[in-house]
Amino acid sequence: MSVAPAARMTPLGWLGVALLALVLLLAPLIFSDFFYGVLLTKALWLGLVAMSLIFLSSYGGMVSLAQVGVFGVAGFIMANLVAADGGLSVELAPWIAVVIAIAAAVAVGLIFGAIAARSEGIYFLMITLAFGVMVFYFFGQVTQLSGHGGVNNVELPGIIGNAVSDPAPLYYISLGVAVAAFLAVRYLGTTPFGLSLQGIRDDPTRMRALGYNVALHRTLAFGAAAVIAAAAAILSVWYNRRIDPGSVSLGQVIDVLVIAVIGGLYRLHGAWVGALAFVLLDNYSRSWTPEIGSVLGADRFNTLLGLIFLAIVLISPGGLVGAWEQARDRIRAAFRGRRAPPSGPVGGPQEPIDRGNRVADQPGLP
Amino acid sequence: MSEHHERKRRRRLLPALALIPVLALVIAGCGDDDDDDSEAGGDAIKVGFLSTCEGAFGAFYEATAGGFNVPLINRGAEAVSDVPSDGIEGGEIAGQPVEVVGYGCSDETPDVAVQEARRLIEQEDADILIGPLSGDEGIAIANYALEQPDKTFINGASGAQDTTLKVQAPNFFRFHTDGAQWSAGVGDFAYNELGWRTAAVIGDDYSFPYTSVGGFIADFCAVGGDVVERIWPPLGETDYSSFIAQIPDNVDGVYLGIGGEGLIAFVEQYIEQKGAFKPDEVIGNLFVDDPLVLEEIGNRMLGVHTSGNTAGDSTEPQVEEYVAEIDAVYPEVAEAAASVFVYHYYTAVEAMAQAIEELDGDISDTQEFHEVLAGIELSGSDAAYGDVRLDDNRQAISDNYIKQVVEGPKGPTVQTIARIPEVDQTFGGLFTPETPAPDRQNPECAEADLPWAGQAEPVDFGG
Repeated sequence: MSVAPAARMTPLGWLGVALLALVLLLAPLIFSDFFYGVLLTKALWLGLVAMSLIFLSSYGGMVSLAQVGVFGVAGFIMANLVAADGGLSVELAPWIAVVIAIAAAVAVGLIFGAIAARSEGIYFLMITLAFGVMVFYFFGQVTQLSGHGGVNNVELPGIIGNAVSDPAPLYYISLGVAVAAFLAVRYLGTTPFGLSLQGIRDDPTRMRALGYNVALHRTLAFGAAAVIAAAAAILSVWYNRRIDPGSVSLGQVIDVLVIAVIGGLYRLHGAWVGALAFVLLDNYSRSWTPEIGSVLGADRFNTLLGLIFLAIVLISPGGLVGAWEQARDRIRAAFRGRRAPPSGPVGGPQEPIDRGNRVADQPGLP
Repeated sequence: MSEHHERKRRRRLLPALALIPVLALVIAGCGDDDDDDSEAGGDAIKVGFLSTCEGAFGAFYEATAGGFNVPLINRGAEAVSDVPSDGIEGGEIAGQPVEVVGYGCSDETPDVAVQEARRLIEQEDADILIGPLSGDEGIAIANYALEQPDKTFINGASGAQDTTLKVQAPNFFRFHTDGAQWSAGVGDFAYNELGWRTAAVIGDDYSFPYTSVGGFIADFCAVGGDVVERIWPPLGETDYSSFIAQIPDNVDGVYLGIGGEGLIAFVEQYIEQKGAFKPDEVIGNLFVDDPLVLEEIGNRMLGVHTSGNTAGDSTEPQVEEYVAEIDAVYPEVAEAAASVFVYHYYTAVEAMAQAIEELDGDISDTQEFHEVLAGIELSGSDAAYGDVRLDDNRQAISDNYIKQVVEGPKGPTVQTIARIPEVDQTFGGLFTPETPAPDRQNPECAEADLPWAGQAEPVDFGG
């Protein structure tokens, strides 16, 4: 009942992809160093964290607030295993540290998942939130791992070089990881595992009756999401060259949820739409100081973001992606009034995440 | 399945993604415009300001911006309004125009501080960055400075010891004393004036209190005292009763390193469990000095001693001149002129301006500019609470003050009772780049030779 997106691609769609790919590949030539090296790279890894949440919510019906916690585990382990100021500074080779960090994050993700998978609704939210906060306090208290003022000056793999003077390598690595993660999750949705996960999302009771192990599927989904969150964490540590407990605080948990909702909680690519919107808003609203500051006061960024968040949620529960789809449908409906409707395939393939724009209809949060 | 739904599903993904580059292009276009504008300013020296406008220290944003603006206003710039972060116009140093490229706003997390520093330097093209405000931010910015050797960083108000002692970025300068230096002399005072032989310390469980309390421990133990208990309640704790119970009854005194609202809760619970504060048995760090905190709890802490690098009650002429300078432009900020947030940003910009003046406005040779800046000495009303000069790590050596909470005409206030001259960051070699950073166990309690032991000068401003 599902199929890869390419099978349904129209010429216009291909044009869009080609244009997007071209812009992203040529970003270092098109944009200023600051724009692509600081803002786009950040949007790419921030989008990855949000995508690990969106993956769980769209395929598994689980809005998990633990993803920043998993992100923190991977980030801190990686930062401690390489040469750095603060923390353990074990001085392993960066790539070995990456592998260990991802493995550890997956283990933690599976444990979180195994515990949370048996709960639903508000209890699920609370349990995953508790995981996120637990990771924050753990690293806040265990200063052997989090250093005096965070783990600083983290050693980068040689291929990245100096990300401040030449941000291109890190940008391309982030882009590659983001694209790979996106395609991998799309593919995962078409596998028997992905299909049964979506079945569980839609009706866990019926799937259980059919003999599926619901908790196991959910737990494994957490493991898969942990890989994505861990990849994002490693990119973020390379990007910042540092990590501290503040990087995985409750504020960050909320930011990632906001990004996912702004982008569209049930669209994988919404993660990056939301992340880009968030990063641009964050950067430019701060540079509009003091004009905005005089009106909104000291918490201008949060106030502005909160207002935009409210507006998006009220206008389009499906986030920016949902708003775009609504607008497109209206335009198309207007066109259809003037010409004969083209005949579409009957009973054709369904997109794996076809949740419409109505968040209220989402299962998994009864 | 209706035909409408079928169509709705198609091509959902790609056009949405195609929006991203369009949006990005629009924004990048705006960004390019900004660059063009700033280039039109010619050879203006571009300065970025970084402080926090969100989080626990957000309330001090305008105070820091005021401290930052006044040295430029003294040199001919005009305040746009009585809100400091609205900015200034027409600043000039040694005939060279000075442009403030942005008033950056962090939320006291290092990640956001670095992000803002990058925006000010890489997007707005600042040559010099003044900031940040809080401890962990400072360590992160000093590390970022290592990656930007051609830019100049002057610390705003952040007080972590590592920032200068360990990171040692050659282009990072701090013209005020650090968190441990703010406790210098108070251990000596406790031992020799208050007669303490043993003490317990209690502080929030994070880096700044480690440093601040560490300064007391180093100082107190150096002259022969013994710290028998170190208690670290988690940051954000509101119920201190179990931690207060851990304070031994048989110690001579208690040193407090608990900040902000936590301190208010702590004081109430302490009095409930242990009875009223006995003035000679409690010393607080600079959190106790905070005017807002004093208003709440000062009446219950009368007689308690504190320390820090400003003397709010000072009537010396250079202090009056400094306060008058601020009062002329920002009367609201002037009330807090002795606040470390105003004073430290002020000395940072003053030092920057003097270095630029020494080079007749030409800072194109960054190396030379850094050398001149490292040699700047501030005195008189430029550093009203004590002359400032830098050590080899570009960290300030300056005076520290011991104060006491007293009854004032408008409620509790502080009275300065002693000055510790020329406090250096290493405590005479006790802290080095190799010694572990202050934490729950460090520094160790050990006797040592303190340069300022017995050197405290009695001060009386007639308050």
